[in-house]
Amino acid sequence: MLQTIFVGLFGIAAIWFGVVVFTTSSMVRSALALLFSQAAVGAMFLAMQTEFLGVLQIMMMGTEMSIMAIFMVMYMMDPGGLMGMDMTHQKRISQVAGVLGALVVVGIVFLVGWGSIAGSVPPDQQVHGLGIELMERSMLIFETAGITILTAMIATIAVALERRQ
Amino acid sequence: MTTAMIILVLLAGAYAVAVLEGWATNGRFQPAGPVLDAVAMLGRESVVTRSSDRIFFEVGPVLLLISALLAAAVLPLAPGLIITDLATGALFVNAALAYVMVALLMAGWGPDGVYAMVGGWRFLGQLVGYSMLIVMPLTAVAMRAESLFTTRIVESQGAMWNVIFQPMGFILFFLAALAVCFLPPFDLPTAPGELAGGVMAEYTGARLAIMRLARAVLVVTLAVTVTVFYMGGWLGPVLPPWAWTLGKSLLVAAAMLFVGRFIPRIREEHLLQWFWKFGIPLALLNILYVGIVLLVVDS
Repeated sequence: MLQTIFVGLFGIAAIWFGVVVFTTSSMVRSALALLFSQAAVGAMFLAMQTEFLGVLQIMMMGTEMSIMAIFMVMYMMDPGGLMGMDMTHQKRISQVAGVLGALVVVGIVFLVGWGSIAGSVPPDQQVHGLGIELMERSMLIFETAGITILTAMIATIAVALERRQ
Repeated sequence: MTTAMIILVLLAGAYAVAVLEGWATNGRFQPAGPVLDAVAMLGRESVVTRSSDRIFFEVGPVLLLISALLAAAVLPLAPGLIITDLATGALFVNAALAYVMVALLMAGWGPDGVYAMVGGWRFLGQLVGYSMLIVMPLTAVAMRAESLFTTRIVESQGAMWNVIFQPMGFILFFLAALAVCFLPPFDLPTAPGELAGGVMAEYTGARLAIMRLARAVLVVTLAVTVTVFYMGGWLGPVLPPWAWTLGKSLLVAAAMLFVGRFIPRIREEHLLQWFWKFGIPLALLNILYVGIVLLVVDS
């Protein structure tokens, strides 16, 4: 019961911060609202006893969203939102699409048969199990993803570098 | 009960750090200094700048304090003397410390001041430099303990402390710890004499008091982190375990505060170059070295 309440509370916090992302006109507020929205999702993971996933989510989003904030400040004309810039467009279509999307998701939640719920695993076994998974079955997937990202990073830097005289 | 005791210890440690910092920067040992400073700060008006981002301005110092306290929550001072012993403890320390940067970003952006903002964004660049040097040495520490539990990490150092077992990891982590606490030579976000206080420049009165308290608690937290991960935590003969943790942590904190006194402040781009071009390869080498020792020599 307590678990459900906390999952719900963090879920509402995540949605609320998600709404703030689009209602504020300050780029930094928008980026940090997204940060706290994602951190709330991390807290939901913690409340659902998936400790590693929760801590990882909270850690990664803290840095990623802040780095995104500086890019938003660099590229936007009005990063502080002091000039009343409006970034929204096609409002009616977006609203309809948003409401329909939410209804579909809620429908899926209640109409799908989720089967039996997995028994809870102690946190230290989760960490151990995840390690074994990464080193055995999923190793190729993660290595491929890692090398691809590294290649993309090197290529990006190479493209961005000024040509030396 | 345990929680209250640990918070009291952290506050006492923060007081000691404030005295030490005064000693390191002014050259005068004043045991009552922090009390006088606090009274003076609390007595002053706490000014809010014009067209500030009020939410960030207020939340920044508090978030800094919270992230330092959260990181300390998974660090054991003695067997059983820990707020929560998480199965992902070593990772959680890093997760909590990531929000130090978020707090400084807020404190930098909030007051609508140039120096503060430059200081805040500078710390974001600093994080890009140091964050790998937190995670990678921690990986090698966790490899030896075969666990992310901070208590098991301490127990794994029974035969030999990590500072001797993996000295390179210790040096890298210690430097990264200095960078997290923005202590000299990595005091880029505050940069006295250049940014006039940077992220702290626009804070006055009670808000400044919270900010400085948070910074002191952060230094204590990092000192305890270094103690737990590299100096054998509570392990030691004769004295009770908590006394060992406290003694070692105070020594580490003193080292953190005094080392930077003799080194000039590092420029942002030099910091990034050194951390990425030398730090990360050395950290990878450290992981390789520890792995080989664990697999070949120890077994």
